[in-house]
Amino acid sequence: MAMRDSQADTAAVSPIQRAPQMTTSPVAKFFSTPAPIYSAAALLRVIFLLYGLYQDTNTAIKYTDIDYLVFTDAARSVSRSQSPYARETYRYTPLLAWLLLPTAWRTSSQLGNAALFASGKILFAVADLAAGWLIERVLVTRPGVEHDTRMDPARARMFAAIWLLNPMVATISTRGSSEGLLAVLVMMLLWAVLSRRVALAGLLLGFGVHFKIYPFIYAPAIVWWMDGERLGQGTAVRQQQTWSGRLKGFVTPARMRLTLISLITFFGLNVVMLSLYGSPFLLHTYFHHVTRIDHRHNFSPYNVQLYLASAAPTSAGLRIESVAFLPQLLLSCVLIPLAMAKVDLPACMLAQTFAFVTFNKVCTSQYFLWYMIYLPLYLPNSSFLRDRRLGVIALSLWVVGQALWLQQGYKLEFLGESTFVPGLWLTSLAFFLVNCWILGVIIGDAGERAGVRGAGVKVYQDN
Amino acid sequence: MRQRTTFIHKPGDGVDPAALKVTASDITGPPLTCIREDRLTFAVDELPKELKDVLKQTHELHIRWSSAEPYETVAPLLSRLPPGLHVFYTPLDAQAAESEDICNLLHTAFGKLDCITPRVSFTAIEQGRFSHSSAYQYYQQLENPAPLSTFSEYAKEKLCKVNDAACLDEMDDHLAAPAYIDISFDAISHALKVTAVSRYYEHDDRITRDMRVTSRPGHRTEVGILSEDKPPTLEPEEIGISGLLTVLEQDSKPSPVLFSFPSRHRHAEGEFTSKLLQPTGLHPTLQLSIASTKPPLEDAYCSPHAYYTLPRWIFPDRYQLSDDLFLASKNLTALRYVSQPVDLEAPEYAMKIWGSAMLLELSPPAIDGQPWTVEVPLHLRYLTPAEEGYQHKQIPYPAVFWACNAEEGTKFPVNPFDRVNLGYDGLFGPRTVFWHVDPKPETGGSLSNDITIPVLDTAKAGWVNAGTAAVVMLGFAWVLWKLFGVYTQVASSTTASTPVKGTEDKKTK
Repeated sequence: MAMRDSQADTAAVSPIQRAPQMTTSPVAKFFSTPAPIYSAAALLRVIFLLYGLYQDTNTAIKYTDIDYLVFTDAARSVSRSQSPYARETYRYTPLLAWLLLPTAWRTSSQLGNAALFASGKILFAVADLAAGWLIERVLVTRPGVEHDTRMDPARARMFAAIWLLNPMVATISTRGSSEGLLAVLVMMLLWAVLSRRVALAGLLLGFGVHFKIYPFIYAPAIVWWMDGERLGQGTAVRQQQTWSGRLKGFVTPARMRLTLISLITFFGLNVVMLSLYGSPFLLHTYFHHVTRIDHRHNFSPYNVQLYLASAAPTSAGLRIESVAFLPQLLLSCVLIPLAMAKVDLPACMLAQTFAFVTFNKVCTSQYFLWYMIYLPLYLPNSSFLRDRRLGVIALSLWVVGQALWLQQGYKLEFLGESTFVPGLWLTSLAFFLVNCWILGVIIGDAGERAGVRGAGVKVYQDN
Repeated sequence: MRQRTTFIHKPGDGVDPAALKVTASDITGPPLTCIREDRLTFAVDELPKELKDVLKQTHELHIRWSSAEPYETVAPLLSRLPPGLHVFYTPLDAQAAESEDICNLLHTAFGKLDCITPRVSFTAIEQGRFSHSSAYQYYQQLENPAPLSTFSEYAKEKLCKVNDAACLDEMDDHLAAPAYIDISFDAISHALKVTAVSRYYEHDDRITRDMRVTSRPGHRTEVGILSEDKPPTLEPEEIGISGLLTVLEQDSKPSPVLFSFPSRHRHAEGEFTSKLLQPTGLHPTLQLSIASTKPPLEDAYCSPHAYYTLPRWIFPDRYQLSDDLFLASKNLTALRYVSQPVDLEAPEYAMKIWGSAMLLELSPPAIDGQPWTVEVPLHLRYLTPAEEGYQHKQIPYPAVFWACNAEEGTKFPVNPFDRVNLGYDGLFGPRTVFWHVDPKPETGGSLSNDITIPVLDTAKAGWVNAGTAAVVMLGFAWVLWKLFGVYTQVASSTTASTPVKGTEDKKTK
């Protein structure tokens, strides 16, 4: 990964100064123009896509993700004017099935059919490429972070490479997971917010929540960030003395517009889908996630506890699974946005997502993509890059935590050993603690930035 | 009530008619190496109340139990079912499907089952596609040992007078270890038939006992001693039967009979075994080893099939079983049928439906007459936590048969030994003949595969609740602490910046 490159590391200290030197090395040359990196990222996905096609047609073990078969089955249902929910385990908005309609079409040639079937994966891969490009745009323009020097495009591409050239991202997209679509959605949302395109941001937020629920956590951060000062409207809230004055100052036209547009988008889409597909839409897209008890082993710290609780539903006392949403929502929707949104919005969204995934009742490796998209935006000014040892430790712990859990999971799933307790339980708790520690560092960085900003303002005063 | 008792022996094991002694109330003879089939036919009025109540709401009902201990079949009793209790039910109306009566009856007759109502616990069979099937299906394994102990008590209570030792003994004898029993009712004939079919007596101590059937006063009792025969006029799809028939209290000596009928069920050469590939994990694969690739008929289209009734803790994934390459690698042609719905995610303890029935078409490799194998990939659900961290279960053997097309124009009128509604027969066209392959246990004596399923170990689970809560609180507290740090930083920097806020705004724009 580019972040381990030593030049990138030292460059982090002072990007502008280092930029001229970088042009001399082959690495710097690779990033100096957009063509090489985007070609490489596209090529990586094409290779994975073709390899997947080969594996699927020639071996009994499939490259394609089971979810992709769910999507395409649902698309076929839709193409026959049936409900996408006719396919068992389809738990997504009908929009996804509509987007994949071409996968249900057939031509006379076999090659054409293979291409049509792969069209959804191509869409996901293109989406995650677009997400990478948006990362670069956000880094270069830095519209929301006033005190930052804007980043040199070559350097921005180097950080975008963490996403663009990440084999995990490319694999997940080309196996047919829809996370790439989500990545481009949230990155577009961030870009729209930072460049103060309020209406577009509202649309994207409403759409994102309709699509995958979890982006609702961004709403409080965006609303909090979008104060009158930042939007260049009205006066600073802090100058208001009375509570009613503060409240008036808080309810800015921009905030109103964002809220209204996102709510209209969200409910509008839901009303349309509900009228088209009836209650199965609500049941599978939303309520399923609240009522599910099919918690097969996953990374969540609650997993073993949920198994225990669901199997013996009569046991008395405080049920921790019924209050599990409290720390999760308190962190991701209230405390992190309040503390971080105005300091560094991208880092805030990273921390929110990280907290949401870490404290969630279900956690699979696909969820890691939800926060990985923000890493290129956060890492340039992070302690993980400044203190290389810390970065290596964090990455190692994160990888080792997963590896230990996976080993226990393998023993259970394939060898049939009862590793629920202590194996899976302790490794999931350990991985949880590693994640909490990393989250703490990310939050701590925001504190430092807040401090630096304070110092920066003092410089202004002195002048 | 009418009784029909038939002794079915293999050709050549017959009895000399002169050795049979018929009196006014019974028939006796020398010991026979045979299968004994006892069939009692009741009018609805003769039945106990709980049964009558159920039958009032019933269009069609078949309760079949098949032994998990292997048994030999002898023509014409050649049909087979997976071991366990099978119920095929067509209620008179939708309301009857909501009623608990049938499940209550099953609890009374067979012991505690997971049956609540047909709507909740049974699987519905599509009526459009298989019009000759019953509407609902239920299946459950009965507890070992002595799976029929409850039924035996029930039958004694209902059919014998309290002090009738002979009757009680006879019931014990019939129900101690039969090959299978059938209880069938349909609203058209308005009669309930209870059939118990014994094992083939060859290895049984009963071989040394004299043959004897006693009539019940006032009830017609018919006794047959029959075996397969091949009269010269026999058509290829027919089974010929010859032997002796006696109606007690009516005939003074047995009369010889010879008849033939087209039979839906036939016996194929060879046998099969089923075993689990190790390790089983949470996705066990059953391997069927079948003795021969040779179809039973040369001049008809025949294709081998396996019919499974899978308890709800194990299930097939029809999406996995839809990929041709995957199927071919397992020597499978297609998943022809799986009962719906199959929840692909729910844990066992959250399920109310009995499980799933599945028909697989098998694909023998192109090697003539050789043994071959088939792999059946299945999936386990989460089961309730248990001591030691494991649960031990048995996967019932399937019924394996070659389905062959009979000649154009062949009809299968109901014959005296026919069984219709076996779960799989309704999935085929009306001209299909089932050539059954004998099951052979893998190890031990049971037609099932033992599987150990990992579950949460209750002995170690004591710390899970408190431990999870403590660790989550710890992580939460750490993140809160770091957040508190940010708040203080932000607060101090804001204090510093407030006086010059306006200037700052101008400069940054």
